[in-house]
Amino acid sequence: MTSGPKLVSILRQGSYLIASIHTALDDTQMDRFREDLIEQIGRHRSRGVVIDVAALDVLDSFGTRTLRTIGEVARLRGALTVVVGIQPDVALAMVALGMSTGAIATALDLEEGLEYLNGRLAGGAVSRPAGRVPPP
Amino acid sequence: MTGCGAEVSGTQRAYRPPVEAAETADPPVAADVHAALAAIVPIVRRIVAARVPDRSTADDLVQETLVRVLAAADRIEPGMLEPYAIVTARNVVASLWREQDRHRRNEHRMVDLLAPESPDADLLAREEQSAVAQALARLSDRERATLLAHEVSGQDTRSLAAELGSTAGAVAAQLNRARARLRVEYLLASERVEPPTDRCRPVLLALSGGDRRRQREVDAARHLLECDLCARLSQPLLQRAATREDRIRIAIGSDGDIVAARQAARELASRLGFGRTDLTLIATAVSEVARNIVRFAGSGEVVVELLDHPRRGVQVVARDTGPGISDVEQALTDGYSTYSGLGLGLPGARRLMDEFAVASEVGQGTTATMTKWCGER
Ligand SMILES: [Zn+2]
Repeated sequence: MTSGPKLVSILRQGSYLIASIHTALDDTQMDRFREDLIEQIGRHRSRGVVIDVAALDVLDSFGTRTLRTIGEVARLRGALTVVVGIQPDVALAMVALGMSTGAIATALDLEEGLEYLNGRLAGGAVSRPAGRVPPP
Repeated sequence: MTGCGAEVSGTQRAYRPPVEAAETADPPVAADVHAALAAIVPIVRRIVAARVPDRSTADDLVQETLVRVLAAADRIEPGMLEPYAIVTARNVVASLWREQDRHRRNEHRMVDLLAPESPDADLLAREEQSAVAQALARLSDRERATLLAHEVSGQDTRSLAAELGSTAGAVAAQLNRARARLRVEYLLASERVEPPTDRCRPVLLALSGGDRRRQREVDAARHLLECDLCARLSQPLLQRAATREDRIRIAIGSDGDIVAARQAARELASRLGFGRTDLTLIATAVSEVARNIVRFAGSGEVVVELLDHPRRGVQVVARDTGPGISDVEQALTDGYSTYSGLGLGLPGARRLMDEFAVASEVGQGTTATMTKWCGER
């Protein structure tokens, strides 16, 4: 289920959700994405969430805040969130803007993001796909 | 870091705005014009809905607006499609409120000043002549003599210059000013109105002449937001204004406009050869100031312009007629801005740009002006 045709996709993979933003979203679409994703985290009792933002050429204060909110709500629901694919220029602008992803983890790409989740969730109460343990 | 490249003129020549493509494309209306039209539908709908409560009437007016914009698409300055649509929507609504027939005839006559296409009605022709005569009468003697010699007698600028003891360039500039004034006076005469404020004529003249510097001096953009008459009259003027590709104006009224503004800013700035990092900083700053407009003023505009002086760079002006900010200094202070407070995004945007200034008056609105220079840092 996605919020609108091809703007974003949210795929379920085991106990993980992999959410990809495919194009620039306006604030309303961003809010909708947040709602959809949080709803699905609850519905699927997901343990890990990967948000792929590689397609975004801007992450302004609203976008960053939205990602942070998703991460915090997900944490309260027992899921770990990792944001992947932040472009170097975008990261630099976020720093210049004075924004950070807060408590949300970031990783270079989808593969690293999944590794991160596997590592963090391995050995937890719930059995997860095995993975190498990345540095924290 | 990445200074702006020197190959700008080449890049500028290569740049072809989407609207212009409509002139050469076959079928007559290019797909990107349709896309541009689709993009302006929400704002047109909002403008009409705010003024016309009846749903089906509003739908009709939205349709009519889009048809008019479509019909004029190949004459509209690139980047001006949205302001043109806004003005058109206001006009369409206004025409509902006035005698519809007379207004529609005026619209037709505006299409070509010197060769009116209203073949059937004698009355129209007489009205037309009378408006032109009135407009001519409001020019100075010298303006009128020069204009008539050139437009009617077909005398070229060089021989006019010799006669007037001037240069061909000066005569051409004088002709342009005279034409600009004639268009304004013609509009006022044919509408039978006197401008309500003494700012109207200077604003209309600056628009008519396509003179950006003068438009800034008289703050034409703000006046258009505030003055109904000038908003209405500026439609044909915007259509005729000289085309320049180093400036774009994005009307801001909703979330989607924030994205449109930052994308337009990025595209325009890229023509100066800014590197990816600077382009991202600029786009992010535009996003912040545009959101400020949507959240706290409701509507306004973002104007992005390439600068040559004192050196090359890109300037962004975000303007609204919202509630204003009582303490600009405080609004620019980090930590002050919250999502419920005024001034959100201003401190952030300031950090992303080289220069940043905010002018605000409570009850009047806020204007944020920010610049990124080529080769800074
Ligand atoms: Zn006015």
